[in-house]
Amino acid sequence: MASIVRPSLLRQTALAARCAKPAFRNNAIKASAFHTSSQRSAFLPPGPQRIEGTVNDPAPVPPPSASHGSYHWTFERLLAAGLVPLTIAPFAAGSLNPTTDAILCSAVLLHSHIGFQSVIIDYIPKTRYSGLRKIFWWGLNLATVTVGVGLYEFETNDIGVTEAIKKIWKA
Amino acid sequence: MAALRSSTRVLSSSTRAAFRPSAVFSRSMASVSETTEQQPKIKSFQIYRWNPDTPTEKPKLQTYSIDLNKTGPMILDALIKIKNEQDPSLTFRRSCREGICGSCAMNINGQNTLACLCRIPAESSSDVKIYPLPHTYVVKDLVPDLTHFYKQYKSIQPYLQRDTPAEDGKEYRQSKADRKKLDGLYECILCACCSTSCPSYWWNSEEYLGPAILLQSYRWLIDSRDERTEARKSKLENSMSLYRCHTILNCTRACPKGLNPGKAIAEIKKQMSLGS
Repeated sequence: MASIVRPSLLRQTALAARCAKPAFRNNAIKASAFHTSSQRSAFLPPGPQRIEGTVNDPAPVPPPSASHGSYHWTFERLLAAGLVPLTIAPFAAGSLNPTTDAILCSAVLLHSHIGFQSVIIDYIPKTRYSGLRKIFWWGLNLATVTVGVGLYEFETNDIGVTEAIKKIWKA
Repeated sequence: MAALRSSTRVLSSSTRAAFRPSAVFSRSMASVSETTEQQPKIKSFQIYRWNPDTPTEKPKLQTYSIDLNKTGPMILDALIKIKNEQDPSLTFRRSCREGICGSCAMNINGQNTLACLCRIPAESSSDVKIYPLPHTYVVKDLVPDLTHFYKQYKSIQPYLQRDTPAEDGKEYRQSKADRKKLDGLYECILCACCSTSCPSYWWNSEEYLGPAILLQSYRWLIDSRDERTEARKSKLENSMSLYRCHTILNCTRACPKGLNPGKAIAEIKKQMSLGS
């Protein structure tokens, strides 16, 4: 009985259609209650399988948006590659230019922001944990703005990033 | 035929004995009786068991011991032997037993591979651990549910799409160089070893297409006969379908056919970025 009840098998018989859902949910609850042992897992539970449409439908394709796709990826790679000369230049040239400092700071900030965005997209699926995703998304934005303001203060009222690294780095 | 078969068996047993130092001296007496002298080489297999008829029961590893002298060389041979002789309730998919159908994909000793292409490690004495493909919904024992995987395959429209008819009205011709681009792509048998070894696919299998499907996607993107390249590309123009690939390259490591899905994905990203 249980085997035809499981939606993963997707037996599209009238019988399954009539009684599948409540019975499956019962089993899933029982199973999850059994599987959660005394120590809580560090990971969020995977949840039951969801298949949209029938087995013969293709998986849905999201609407195309280059700014989230190829433009985003290209920008990300260019930024990452650009960080290398930006990091070396002020030390190689030996001069302390506030403009290169500002470019370096904003590039690092943007780079880390995109990186953390990627982490959030990877680990907090929008479909399943939309609330949690929003909290983390705006938390990240807040953190980036805070760091940005901090760096601005450090650059304008203090010695600046390059000078600070030079002071700390005494090999 | 029967005589031929018995002679090959003698040959194989004598060559096998030759590798074992203890049996070297009895080699000159190569005969059928030698097979009875061999001491059994017992190997234990720990196999993941879960029965959908008792869903509240936790999945467990069940240990089976078989004599390697009476088993074929591959893991699939051992599984079939266990199913035939010890436990008919053991469930797994298999079909061609030679790495063409992709049915027997499973996780063997921590590596996704095809059971029919994976040798039983005869040298090591440790148990062989066999699990279903990781991060899949298990139907029973070693049988994963690949419904979503196939639905994703369908979503990339894996067939030739053209608007213009062939010039000679007969067939769509292709230069040798264009045909060569498909090598290393058309061999994919969709066994899902690569996709289920990809951490990105583990976390986001609902939206991320995974290495196997992206390799197929690339196979149609670079096909010189296909005329819907732009439409195919625009299907990948979002943050989830393609760009959840973080170049982990577990896919390339796992592929039992020796293909390189990681490179195919990198080529798609390059094409999308440079627009060629």
